[in-house]
Amino acid sequence: MSLSVALQKLAAYRKSNTRKSQETFQNGLLVLEKNGVSSLGDDSWSFLEQLTLASIDVGKLDVADRCLEQLAEKFPASPRVDVLVGIRMEATEPFDTVMNYYAEVLDADSANAAAWKRKVTVLRRANKIDKAVTELSQFLDTFYADVEGWLELADIYTSCSQYTSALQALTHVLLLAPQNPFYTLQFAETAYTAGDLPLALKMLLLVIDMCERDSSDLDRLTGVLTRAWWATKLCTRHLMTSKSTNSASHTSVPKNLNLIDELATEQVLKLYSSGRGEGRDLVTRWLGQST
Amino acid sequence: MGSSDVSLYLDPQIRDWVLFPITLVMILVGILRHYVVQLLQSPPKQLSRAALREQRALARAQILRNSSTSSPLPPVYYTAISSHLRQAFEAGEYLKDGPPKPGDAPAAPANPMTDPAAMDGMMAGMKTQMVMMVPQMVIMGWINFFFQGFVLIKLPFPLTLGFKSMLQRGIETPDMDVRWVSSLSWYFLNFFGLNGLYRLILGGENSADSSRDMSATPFTAAPAGPGQDFVKLFKAEQDNLEFSEGLYKWAAEDVEIRVLKRHGKLP
Repeated sequence: MSLSVALQKLAAYRKSNTRKSQETFQNGLLVLEKNGVSSLGDDSWSFLEQLTLASIDVGKLDVADRCLEQLAEKFPASPRVDVLVGIRMEATEPFDTVMNYYAEVLDADSANAAAWKRKVTVLRRANKIDKAVTELSQFLDTFYADVEGWLELADIYTSCSQYTSALQALTHVLLLAPQNPFYTLQFAETAYTAGDLPLALKMLLLVIDMCERDSSDLDRLTGVLTRAWWATKLCTRHLMTSKSTNSASHTSVPKNLNLIDELATEQVLKLYSSGRGEGRDLVTRWLGQST
Repeated sequence: MGSSDVSLYLDPQIRDWVLFPITLVMILVGILRHYVVQLLQSPPKQLSRAALREQRALARAQILRNSSTSSPLPPVYYTAISSHLRQAFEAGEYLKDGPPKPGDAPAAPANPMTDPAAMDGMMAGMKTQMVMMVPQMVIMGWINFFFQGFVLIKLPFPLTLGFKSMLQRGIETPDMDVRWVSSLSWYFLNFFGLNGLYRLILGGENSADSSRDMSATPFTAAPAGPGQDFVKLFKAEQDNLEFSEGLYKWAAEDVEIRVLKRHGKLP
């Protein structure tokens, strides 16, 4: 593989924020060996940052150290390099050392968002969930627009079966990225798990509406749609069999429940009729049970 | 155009020793300024965590309000967030220095002259302004002193009389052809017209162009002026939030009807 191909690939990864550590590492090493760093100009620094992260990911710490040295030389006291150094420390150093390091960085600049987020992940990995949640909540109170942070908070809550709190975290995700059907689906599924079936049904229909209205890239959204129709079917079935529908969010059950159920059955069958149709029998049997 | 018959004769020495030097000096001064400004620029001031939180609290409410007419949130969650924010704004929880104490007198609007943070921003603006204005004044003085009343070039196209004051500044002759350009006017033409050249030499984000700074004052230099009164802003935001609550409508309100209609289940 030639140098220019490797450089192009790396630039594409950087642009789309792709992690692909192994590929990045191999391409990056090639660039290093062929001395392509100098030819990059100003891009060379973001290349070094990218390679550092990738090599820490694949465990080649010596390469990471070499990159970090160059970066630290060029940008002394840069908050971004500080965070990189922190990530490098996380790879080998014990918990306390890393925490102390991040505390120092945050002392110097209390608004260093990246270092703050790293601190939260370190806490979570060390299984100090309560501290991680407190820190993350504080972080989000300051940096409200951080979608990743809210998703992480929801994830932490979900892992502790705190579905109501997870739902609350996800509401902020919805506010910040209302156009993303994946997040809406996550909200609906969390509501389903929390036992709020009417709310889940409504949100699922919202996901379906969102995907279908945007018919230009329906292919890309087939996964979401399939999941959403399945979940809709699940919801309607539960709602039709059990008469008592309690909803923590006081959402009313739609009047046309039967029609929705019918539609969901049709859609699920349709989704499984095309293609190789694997598991079609199972699906029809399961659907047959319900009606 | 009888006057064009009695054409003036321009000494080529004027071209070599006046026209070119003025242009060259202006270009060089612009480039020099670009680098001096770069040296003078102080690094962006770091905000403390509390200050950042105060500044961004308004954005939270704005994000909530933006989608309120077709909000992705169910009513319960929407009102929960909305009323939480309103209470927080009312109590001043987002203020940098914490909620105001009941006994405190309402804080006087911050005087930008006493706030050191605001002062810094203003000084930075003044510094760049000085770098812009001083050389321009020097050049203008130089031209006025040595080349006052010089005619430098003749434009190759005719112009109407309206351009006379633009092109013949410093020469008070009522009947000279408008195509002749005086030295001072040449300076002004360069002053406003060299930006394109600087962009070519120094790239788009250069600080060599001085005509742009004419409109800027040191007081507007710091973006989102540090003297903002957040107590007042939060008060206004409370009203906005209340207003949006009235406009609120859940996007999933009748979503089932939309979906059913699309699939032909409902007329």
